[in-house]
Amino acid sequence: MMLSSRRFTKKRISLLFAYSLSALLMIWLSYLLPSLLPGDFVTAMYSTSEDVTLTAAQESELRAYYSQDTGFAKYLIKLIRLDWGNSYAFLTPVSELFFDALPWTLLLLVSANILAALTGFIAGVEAAFRRNSRFERSLVSCGTIMEGLPEICTGVILLAVFSLYLGWFPAAGAETAYAELSFQEWLLDVGHHLTLPLASLVIAYFPGNFLLTRTSMIMVISQPYIKTAQAKGLSGLRIRYAHAARNALLPLVTRFGLRLAFTVTGAFVVERIHAYPGLGTLLFNAIRLRDLPVIQAIVLISSIMVLAMIMLLELVYASLDPRVQDAYQR
Amino acid sequence: MMAKKFALTVHQNTQEDGDSLMALIQRCTLSLIFILFFGIICFASNSEIRIADPSGDWGFPTPYRHYPRGPGYIRMSMIFDTLIWKDTTGVIPALAESWSYEPETLSYLFTLRQGVKWHDGRPFTPADVVFTFQYIKEHAYNFVRLDSVASCEIEGEYQVRVKLREPYAPFLAYMATMPILPKHVWNKVSDPKKYVQPDSFIGTGPYTFVDFHKVKGTYLFEAFADYYQGRPKIDRLIYIKADDPLLALLTGKADLAQIEPNMVKILEKKGMTILRNQRGWNKKLMINHTKEPFSNKEFRHALAHAINRQEIIDKAHQGHGTVASDGLLSPDHEFYNPKTPSYEYNPAKARKILTSLGYTHGKDGFFTKDGKPLRVRLLASTVTTTDRDGEIIRHQLEQVGIAVDLQMQEKTAADTQIKAWDFDLAVSGHGGLLGDAVILNRMISPDTGSVNSARYAGSTKLLRLLKEQLHTTGKEKRRLILAEIQKIYAEELPALSLYYPESTAAYNPKKGISWYFTPGGIGTGIPICQNKAALLR
Repeated sequence: MMLSSRRFTKKRISLLFAYSLSALLMIWLSYLLPSLLPGDFVTAMYSTSEDVTLTAAQESELRAYYSQDTGFAKYLIKLIRLDWGNSYAFLTPVSELFFDALPWTLLLLVSANILAALTGFIAGVEAAFRRNSRFERSLVSCGTIMEGLPEICTGVILLAVFSLYLGWFPAAGAETAYAELSFQEWLLDVGHHLTLPLASLVIAYFPGNFLLTRTSMIMVISQPYIKTAQAKGLSGLRIRYAHAARNALLPLVTRFGLRLAFTVTGAFVVERIHAYPGLGTLLFNAIRLRDLPVIQAIVLISSIMVLAMIMLLELVYASLDPRVQDAYQR
Repeated sequence: MMAKKFALTVHQNTQEDGDSLMALIQRCTLSLIFILFFGIICFASNSEIRIADPSGDWGFPTPYRHYPRGPGYIRMSMIFDTLIWKDTTGVIPALAESWSYEPETLSYLFTLRQGVKWHDGRPFTPADVVFTFQYIKEHAYNFVRLDSVASCEIEGEYQVRVKLREPYAPFLAYMATMPILPKHVWNKVSDPKKYVQPDSFIGTGPYTFVDFHKVKGTYLFEAFADYYQGRPKIDRLIYIKADDPLLALLTGKADLAQIEPNMVKILEKKGMTILRNQRGWNKKLMINHTKEPFSNKEFRHALAHAINRQEIIDKAHQGHGTVASDGLLSPDHEFYNPKTPSYEYNPAKARKILTSLGYTHGKDGFFTKDGKPLRVRLLASTVTTTDRDGEIIRHQLEQVGIAVDLQMQEKTAADTQIKAWDFDLAVSGHGGLLGDAVILNRMISPDTGSVNSARYAGSTKLLRLLKEQLHTTGKEKRRLILAEIQKIYAEELPALSLYYPESTAAYNPKKGISWYFTPGGIGTGIPICQNKAALLR
């Protein structure tokens, strides 16, 4: 017992070391990669303006003004002090921009992921227990087709139908700009604006969740212990969700976690189509303007999030599935 | 509250039958108060205009922080006034009541308006104007060039004299562009690029700044009650970000937006008013005249003959556009030279020129010279909207016998290469062709950094004339020089103007504002229909 627990801690430590090493690598990549983009802020901002044409001297002066790059070591030290630098475009702290955009992305992505995971899970479980029924077959074929539809396609179709023709939902933004509303009215307004982008994302995420749950459920159902449960005369609902579904949850949780980890890039397309003021939009604008500090921050946070999520998943696995715990101790 | 009282009255009324007349009067009075109350609410509710554009963010609307493009300038112009301004009638007074030019002393005398207030309530004085000249000379505001200004002094009680070093034709155009800054704010600011504080938004303009949301790309301005030309008609001016102007206009989210010409019919049906601007923006083919074979004028002529510009308009833009003049200045410009040489689409002539330059037709239909195939690299990017111009040009050049390697790139990536002369041909474009003719200097001169500029030093005569036109104040004399410039530019052809796309905007007339495109553009030529003068009574 003593020995196995020591081995366990050792494994944990080496794992932690591996994770910190990859975190450092990601910080370096997020520092380096954006600067490899062709062109710089001054070119993006000034080079095609007809109203302002700069002379070579003015240009190099501007370039010097907007260059904050002082090497990776300084970047790292600044990061540790939680200083993400200033945006070139606004000359205000990047963190301010980031936290302006983050709530909107979280609202969109978290609600889309939860909705898609819940509906996908329930539909998957129910479909698996009704194998070969018309319900199951039509749902599977629908899901397969939907899985093939890219977000950009569903997004545009939803916009055309519900915004342009029916006029039920607004086409752009996260709220009516500068509307003087009471809190309840504001909540309704936000919900109203959220509907279409949320729907595009749920439609995009649902089929994957559904198909995944169904497949793993089908494998679980054939296990003898389900037959035992049935023989014991347990209720159908209890068998499905307490006995069978718990064992089919693992892949879905993985998918859910990874989806959440890709929060920043996940909503990129949908945010663009609906002009939703989240991190995707912020990143898009920053790339367009070559606002390096903003790109660096967003790339860094999103890659660290992926890493953190993988780490978290590993911990969650252990409590979801005892076999994972065993693997550590062996 | 009101409704409760009303119900109470009704209740009383049914109880006391005898006094029914009294009750009726009471009821009527209450209803009247009720109606009046809501009427006032409706009446007092803010009138607002919402303007949409796809980018949203154009920087803080202050002179030193707005982005160096028209939309950034326009947002700033709502807050900051200039000495003079432009509307449909031409140049009009703004902070200067009147102005005159004295050729003997090379100076302009501006008589300033009295009783003008800054947004913080302080009085506007001639000292502010003098300060602005000094400050902008020290800290360049890139929309304005003050190199020709020798001095600016207060004269008399409310007059300012601006002395020039030499006669300078675009001076008034710059005066219609230069925002006047409050001395009491900026005299303590040493780095205006970094300065964003509540008081950096203080101007004398018709609107005061309330908010700019950087990520949402929205702006809120409120009418300035003490504006010297009277409180503007609309209380709240809002800029929103909307990727699709058609959707924004149709769903009532926006009252004004720049649109694509093919949206005109739908919007007209919905009761929108359509505005069409003069031709002031050109799609342009940049030619790398610093290297072989493009350094040869004849070769550039062959290219011009090989490209069917009408076909580009028809195939890529559904016919919405006109073939551009080869002299760069727009045919709608007052100084346009109708006798500018032009290069009609003539593939046979293009082949003939290439043959005379020593190229021979290879077996594959493409030209070769000294055993090397004639192969050019054409850069294309999204200049304003995604289009197929690059593909069509490739097809046309290949028809003539020039092999083309088409490279579609992201805009800044392409711009970076154009700037470094790392290209053969590149599709680009710019506006400003309606404003002051100083645009020719900016778009031809070899010492500008713009990727849209031909940066051409191949003709000393052209360079001399460009310099000369700036210092020629006589209109007819300037016209002659400009005619010659357009002629030489077309002959040299350092870049090829392809076409003028139709520029259209649509607005909701029910909001009570009649927007217009300013002839010659706002300031030095901004082709945007959001002229603040339209918002004044």
